[in-house]
Amino acid sequence: MRIDTVDTDILILGSGGAGLFAALHALQTDPDLDVTIAVKGLLGKCGCTRMVQGGYNVALAPGDSVERHFMDTIEGGKWLPRQDLAWALCLFAVERVQELENEIGCFFDRNRDGSLHHKAFAGQTFDRTVHKGDLTGIEIINRLMEQVMARPVRRLEDHRAIDLIPAKDGSGIAGALLLDIRTGTYRMVRAKTVLLGTGAGPTMYKYHTPSGDKSCDGLAMALRLGLPLRDMEMVQFHPTGLLGGPDTRMTGTVLEEGLRGAGGYLLDGAGRRFMADYDPRGERATRDVVSRGIYAEMRAGRTGPMGGVYIEMKHLGPDKVAAQFPGMVKRCADCGFDLAGDRVEVVPTAHYMMGGVEFDPDGSTELPGLYAAGEDCGGVHGANRLGGNGVANSTVFGGIAGESMARYASRRKSPADPDPAAIDAAIERAERPFGLPRGAGLADLRDALAKCMWDDVGVMRTADGLRRGLSRIADLSGALANAGLADGDRAFNLTWQDWLNLDSLLAVSTVIATAALDRDDSRGAHFREDYPETGDLLASAYTRIRAPDGAAPSLERVPVAFTRVRPGESLIEDEVLGGDAP
Amino acid sequence: MTDTIPVRVWRGGDAGAFQTFDVALRDNQTVLDIVTDIQRRQDPTLSYRFACRVGVCGSCAMTVNGVPRWTCRTHVAKVAAEGVLTLEPLRNLPRLKDLAVDMTPFFDKWQKAGGTFEGRKTRDDAVDPVKPGSRARKAADAAIECINCAVCYAACDVVDWDPDYLGPAALNRVWTLVNDRRHARRSDTLDKAAQSGGCGSCHSQGACMRHCPVGLSPTESIAGLKRALLFSLLGGRL
Repeated sequence: MRIDTVDTDILILGSGGAGLFAALHALQTDPDLDVTIAVKGLLGKCGCTRMVQGGYNVALAPGDSVERHFMDTIEGGKWLPRQDLAWALCLFAVERVQELENEIGCFFDRNRDGSLHHKAFAGQTFDRTVHKGDLTGIEIINRLMEQVMARPVRRLEDHRAIDLIPAKDGSGIAGALLLDIRTGTYRMVRAKTVLLGTGAGPTMYKYHTPSGDKSCDGLAMALRLGLPLRDMEMVQFHPTGLLGGPDTRMTGTVLEEGLRGAGGYLLDGAGRRFMADYDPRGERATRDVVSRGIYAEMRAGRTGPMGGVYIEMKHLGPDKVAAQFPGMVKRCADCGFDLAGDRVEVVPTAHYMMGGVEFDPDGSTELPGLYAAGEDCGGVHGANRLGGNGVANSTVFGGIAGESMARYASRRKSPADPDPAAIDAAIERAERPFGLPRGAGLADLRDALAKCMWDDVGVMRTADGLRRGLSRIADLSGALANAGLADGDRAFNLTWQDWLNLDSLLAVSTVIATAALDRDDSRGAHFREDYPETGDLLASAYTRIRAPDGAAPSLERVPVAFTRVRPGESLIEDEVLGGDAP
Repeated sequence: MTDTIPVRVWRGGDAGAFQTFDVALRDNQTVLDIVTDIQRRQDPTLSYRFACRVGVCGSCAMTVNGVPRWTCRTHVAKVAAEGVLTLEPLRNLPRLKDLAVDMTPFFDKWQKAGGTFEGRKTRDDAVDPVKPGSRARKAADAAIECINCAVCYAACDVVDWDPDYLGPAALNRVWTLVNDRRHARRSDTLDKAAQSGGCGSCHSQGACMRHCPVGLSPTESIAGLKRALLFSLLGGRL
C-alpha cells in the first residue's frame, strides 16, 4: 500500500479554538516554522467552539479579579481541578480576550458607554461572561479562521487522524497517520511536535449536544498510546436539550440556560411544574440538579409523548419571549415547534467532558513532543465546568501550547523517524471493517451504545447499572469487530467513518464507565444513587486511567494537590468558602 | 404503514445521474435526516457533508428542489409540498462526490476580498470602547452573524456568470470591516472592494438576501460599499 508522506514542523489535530490559536501563536513565536492543521471536516467548521452560545468568562469587569474567577472555578469543580491549570485559565483569559478583540477582530457586545458587556452566568459570583449576543462562538471562530487562512498554514481538510505515531527510537512523538477522507487513502504526517486538539465530546449518549462530527477520536488515540486520562467519569449534562424523536440529528441540541433563568417553567407530561419537588430554587437550580430532576420524572414515566418533559415560556408573553430569545425561537420553529407560544419537549443532554488527557500548564503531555489543549484535556474543570469556561479553556491553552510547540520545534532539526510497526498497526486498525463478514448494522450498534450509556452510565448512576453498562459496552465492541463493510469506492465513504467513530466511542465509553464505577461519592456532574454524599473534600482524589494498545483499563486514585488553596479557605479576602457562598 | 417520500439524489461528481430512494417520513424530520437515513439504511456509499447539525457551522448546505438551503434546519414538510425531494450539491462550487462540494474557492475569495481584521492594539492593551448605538457599529452588527455556509454564493447568478466575482458573503464581511473603527486598514479594505470582481459586479438581484438562512442582507452591505466608495471618490473620508 502506497502511503503519501508529508513533513512539517508542527502538526495540529483539530481546528477549534485550541487548534487555531495554537497555529497563530506558533507562527508568532517563530515565523519560519512550517505549520499544518489537519481536521476531520472543514477548517473552523468542525467541533464545538463555533457552537458556543453563552460566552467567555474573564475577570475584566471593575471589581472582579482573577482570584474571584479562580475561586468560582475551584468551587464549581468541587475541589477536583488541578489548581495550577485553573489558575492559568483565569489569568490568561484576560490576555486572550484582549487578543481576540484587539488582534483577531472579535466584536464583543458593549455597554452603553462602549465598555465590554459582562453577563451573569450560573454558578459565578460576578458578572464576567463576555459575549456576542447568544452566538458568541460564531464570532470567535469566524475571526480566528480568517486570521489563520491569511497566514501560510497548510490545511489538510477532510483528514481524520487514525493514530498518533511515536518515534522508532522511543524518544517521543513522530507524527500522526491520517486518513484523507476525500480520497480514502492514508497520509503519514511526520512532525517535530503534535497538538491533540480534537475536542472530545460525549456523543456516545442517546441525547447529546456536541457537533455531530465529534467522536472522541483524540481521547481514543491517547489511550492507545498509553497516555493517562483523568476525571473521565465527569460528564456534564445540560438540562434542556431539544427532543425531536428518533432519527433526527437535531435531537439533543441545546435550548439555552437563559430560558430557565428568565422564568421558564418545566412541566411534566400532565402539565404540572415539578422542579420545586427537587430543589427550592425550582427551575433556576444549577444544571446538574435540574438534569437530575428531569431524569427522575422521566424514569417515573411522567413524560410527554416523546419521553421528555416540557419547557413552557408563554406565560412571559409570546412576543417578549420571541424578542428576548430570537435564536432559540427560530431554531424550534425550524423543527416545527413553537417555543414562544406553546410547550416544547426537552430532555437532559450530554454536553461536555471535564475529563481528558493529563497535561501541564505549558500544554505538554507525558510523551515528549505531544501537546494537548481544549476538551481533549482533563484537570482544568475538575468535577464540573462553569458555563463560559469552556471556550476560555480551549483558547487559553491552545495559544500557550502553540508557543511551547514552536520552542520545541525550533530546537530540532527534523521530525523523528516514526515507528513503522505503529504505522502498520494503525493501518491494520483502519482496514479492519473491510476484512470482516457483514454483521450488524452500524446505525443499530450506535443506537444500542447510546441507549446503554444513557440508561446505565448517565445522569444518575449505581454500581449495578455501571457493571451492566460495562458488560453491554463489551458486547457491542465485540459486535463492531464483526460488523464488516463492503469494500469498493473508499472516497468520501461516510459509513467507513461511522465505523471508525463508533470504535473511538466504544473505547472511551469503557473508560467513562470504569471511572464512574470507581468513584464512590457524588460530586459535580457525577451522581451515584448508592453514594449520594460528597466525600471528605480534604481527602479528594481524582481518577487516572490508562489502557495502552487496547488493554483493559487500569485505574488509580491520585490525591488532589491543593497548591493554592485548601477546602475551607479562599483567596478572596474577607471570605471563607465552603459554607453558604453567595 | 409508514408514509414514504421519493427522494431524487445526485450521485457522482460533475458527471453523474439522479438515483431515487423511498424514505420513510417521520415527524420533525429535516432534509439532513433524510440524507442520513439513506446513508444509514439504504446506501452506505452516499456522500454528504455536515457537522454541527443545528445551523451554526454552515457545512451541510445543498440544493433542495432547486433552492440552496441549510439542510440541518430545513423541515421536510416545509419544502416537500409537491411530495418529492430533489437533492443536488450546492451550485457554483466544485463537486467532490454526490452531495459534497469543495468550499475552497469560497474561502479563497473571502481572503482575496480582504476580509481579515488588522488591529492597532495588542493583547496587552485594554479593549477599545465602542458605542453600541453608533451608526457604524449598528451597520456592522446587522451583517456580522454570517455562518459562511455559501448559500448566498450558490444563489447568486453573478457568481455563476463571472468566476472572478468575489460573491455576497465575502463582500458582506468587507462591509463589516469598513464599519469597524478598530480596523487599522479601513481605507485599503474599502479600496479593495472596488477591485475587478468586487462590489461593482453586483447586479442587486437580491438572491443572496432572499436565501440567507440567518436573515442577513449582503445586498444591502454591497450597496453600502458602493455608496462608501462613491463618497471616498468625492473626497470624503471614512
